[in-house]
Amino acid sequence: MAFGIEAEKEVIMKANKKDVLTGSYYIDGDVAAAYGAIAAGCKFVGGYPITPSTEAFEAFVHRAPYVGGITIQMEDELGSIASILGAVWSGKKAMTITSGPGFSLMMENIGLGAMLETPFVLLNVQRSGPSTGLPTQAGQADMMQSRWGANGDYEIIAISPDSPQEMFDYTIKAFNLSEKYRCPVMIMADECVGHMTEKVVVPEADKINIEPRRFYKGPKEKYLPFKPDKDLVPPMAKAGDGYKLHISGLTHDEKGYPTFSQTPDTKRLVDKIRLNADKIIELNEDEIDDADVVVVSYGITSRVAIRGIEQARAKGLKVGNLRLVTVWPFPEKRIAELSKKVKAFVVPEINYGQIVYEVERCAHGNANVVLVPHGGGFVHNPEDIFKAIKYAAQEKKKVEGIIEHKTELYRLIHEKNS
Amino acid sequence: MNKKTVEIRFAGYGGQGIIRSGIIVGRAGAIYDDKFTTMNQAFGPEARGGACSSQLLVSDDKILYPYVAKSDILICMAQEAYEKFEPELKNDGLLLYDLDLVNLKNKRGKVKLYSIPSTRFAEELGQKIIANVVMMGFFTAITEVISVDAMKKSIPESVPSRFVELNLNAFDKGYNYGKNLVK
Amino acid sequence: MKIHPLFSTFANAVKKAEIESDKICLVSDFLYQPKISEYLGFDLFHVTRGRSIPFATGMKLGNPKLKVVVFVGDLITLGGNHFMHASRRNMDIVVICVNNFLYPKINGKKSPTIKSAFSPYSVFERPVNIPHVARSSRAVYVARWTALHKKELTESMTRALGKSGFSVIEVISPGNCYFAGIPASPKENELIEFYHKNSEIKNDEDTKNVEITAEKKIIVGKFFEKKRPTYIDSYNERHSKVIGDKFKIYE
Repeated sequence: MAFGIEAEKEVIMKANKKDVLTGSYYIDGDVAAAYGAIAAGCKFVGGYPITPSTEAFEAFVHRAPYVGGITIQMEDELGSIASILGAVWSGKKAMTITSGPGFSLMMENIGLGAMLETPFVLLNVQRSGPSTGLPTQAGQADMMQSRWGANGDYEIIAISPDSPQEMFDYTIKAFNLSEKYRCPVMIMADECVGHMTEKVVVPEADKINIEPRRFYKGPKEKYLPFKPDKDLVPPMAKAGDGYKLHISGLTHDEKGYPTFSQTPDTKRLVDKIRLNADKIIELNEDEIDDADVVVVSYGITSRVAIRGIEQARAKGLKVGNLRLVTVWPFPEKRIAELSKKVKAFVVPEINYGQIVYEVERCAHGNANVVLVPHGGGFVHNPEDIFKAIKYAAQEKKKVEGIIEHKTELYRLIHEKNS
Repeated sequence: MNKKTVEIRFAGYGGQGIIRSGIIVGRAGAIYDDKFTTMNQAFGPEARGGACSSQLLVSDDKILYPYVAKSDILICMAQEAYEKFEPELKNDGLLLYDLDLVNLKNKRGKVKLYSIPSTRFAEELGQKIIANVVMMGFFTAITEVISVDAMKKSIPESVPSRFVELNLNAFDKGYNYGKNLVK
Repeated sequence: MKIHPLFSTFANAVKKAEIESDKICLVSDFLYQPKISEYLGFDLFHVTRGRSIPFATGMKLGNPKLKVVVFVGDLITLGGNHFMHASRRNMDIVVICVNNFLYPKINGKKSPTIKSAFSPYSVFERPVNIPHVARSSRAVYVARWTALHKKELTESMTRALGKSGFSVIEVISPGNCYFAGIPASPKENELIEFYHKNSEIKNDEDTKNVEITAEKKIIVGKFFEKKRPTYIDSYNERHSKVIGDKFKIYE
């Protein structure tokens, strides 16, 4: 059909000058994320402040009135996320900000967001869990929840920044991705990045690319809210423009009307991300080509891991570094490709094993997968990562399943002693 | 790679401007001296009164590990903070402390010691609250990790405009006192 | 096809209130089946259970020119907290709470608004008094009618639509699958008449006296009306005061 074609053209839009505070700042990651959101054109935040993400909410509330935005502190996180979905449908770019316990409350409406193909950004500054956990300490244990939290089948995009500068840059990227694919995009930061203060350079407005919302441009009476373009993403209309929208969380057809069986639209929720995965995924690779061991990490851990990697390289080990900037969708192809070349993957993360399962799945038994777990509350000791790399490089036999590094060390010690 | 990273800890009790010191020095280094700095402050129960501290890493390269493991420089403005963080100081580290507020215990290793009556100086200048600025001047003079120019550009960004002059005076007072000591 | 009296009353009210129909957005959730939009052609958002009020809050803040109307069922269970807080903030939305004393389509589920319903052992909990909750959380317009009080209901809806602030209208009406599967149960049209017959109009009645019980008649009427600045009004006022000329009124 003709209507979508316009939307497929590359529209290059730049950030609004008023929204961008060009200059160098010494701010923490939370504040940087709020600045990034404003630069991306976000005009609405509905939130419920929760440590360690409060600074982001506060910074947004402070800046919003100057850029024509509005904010509301909702009664709880159930309300926060529902409110941003509403704001998006009335035409605003919107974000909500939270941490662990709030993230749990938001799950049902993440599902609704995915179902209604609502573009929004969710900043989760992860604390250590479960439950209330350690409110002021770092964790990375919400990674699987971000992917699978709500009921039913859907796909989301998740980005994991590792510094305040990246909190700024990737918040903008998150908004762009969410507009492009009309799906929830999560910024899975952690307390360490959120509270860390570093230099953040805010570029000039015309250096910031903005993905405009894909508004439908054809004749009103022919609009079908869930009829996709060629890239599987439908153009959007907003409430109050006379489109007679029928937008429902029930499984629906192209018109948005409830159906009593699964429709192609349900599959599209998954396909629009899976089939575009190569365009979405961003990885940082370093010395990976002749590596024996590849360290796979994300967020703050990817910074800390470099210390361990450097230590190992100094000892002559061939170690590659694969940093996941986008964690979801998972870079399945790349890991599968590498698994044929390397001896082992080492996966440090601030949890007792989440992304490591994905690495193991994609390694197809071709390479060992060594987990360097951390219970949360702090970041890894680089020494632990170094030890795991050393162990992974030595181990000759293929081991089934995930090798948890510390446990394995204890086993080796006990075998030696007995 | 990261060999040039200097690990600094500012320690005192809540209300002395310890966190603020970390931000001012960090900003001076990152924005005006073109170095890499990472500042982390204590959150949680630690931040609510009692000993309080902020950690600052200064380096010529990108900083990877964002926390202080063993401090090269420890700045102490309270006895409790001294007792808590002194063991973390490297054997050849540098300890700067407030002469009136910290009683040293036995000296350890090759730790170098410098002291200044920062709170007394601040009171003489009319504001007890700027003791941390005196201490920053002293720190700048002794350690030379951050340049004086950078510090003088960074301080006004963190204080209300009517107090800028007072703060810069306080900084100079600490700086000159420090320079006289190491001359 | 039989059309629920509520639809015609709402349509008439929109006409009387002279609101552009494009600007009307209906938000509803699963506790009430929103057939209304399919017949009337307003924008409709059918969201997760109990979250229609915060969704509507976001819509109103996203575009204050919209007139957001929330159609809900027995809203005090899921989302009761949202109800109170939207009311407290005086969000500019109209809440039409269609109280059917039971969840349509869900047999055996207890509703918090009635004493005797179809749970295997009946309901032994006390029902909630919706107008009183609305009144005490400071809604600016509170009324209750049965679905057959067409004239009064139209008037109430017109008033609420024209008003700015959090308005609540409770409508006593059977749901579309009322008593489904229960033999010898009253028919929908019998029931709707039964409610109408057993009601008593008492305008400006103190809301604490309007609890619905099996013994008393259902008290209906316009219970309360007041003017109060909405959330956006207060937001603009506060920010103009603090920020001054640099602040552009949000509208």
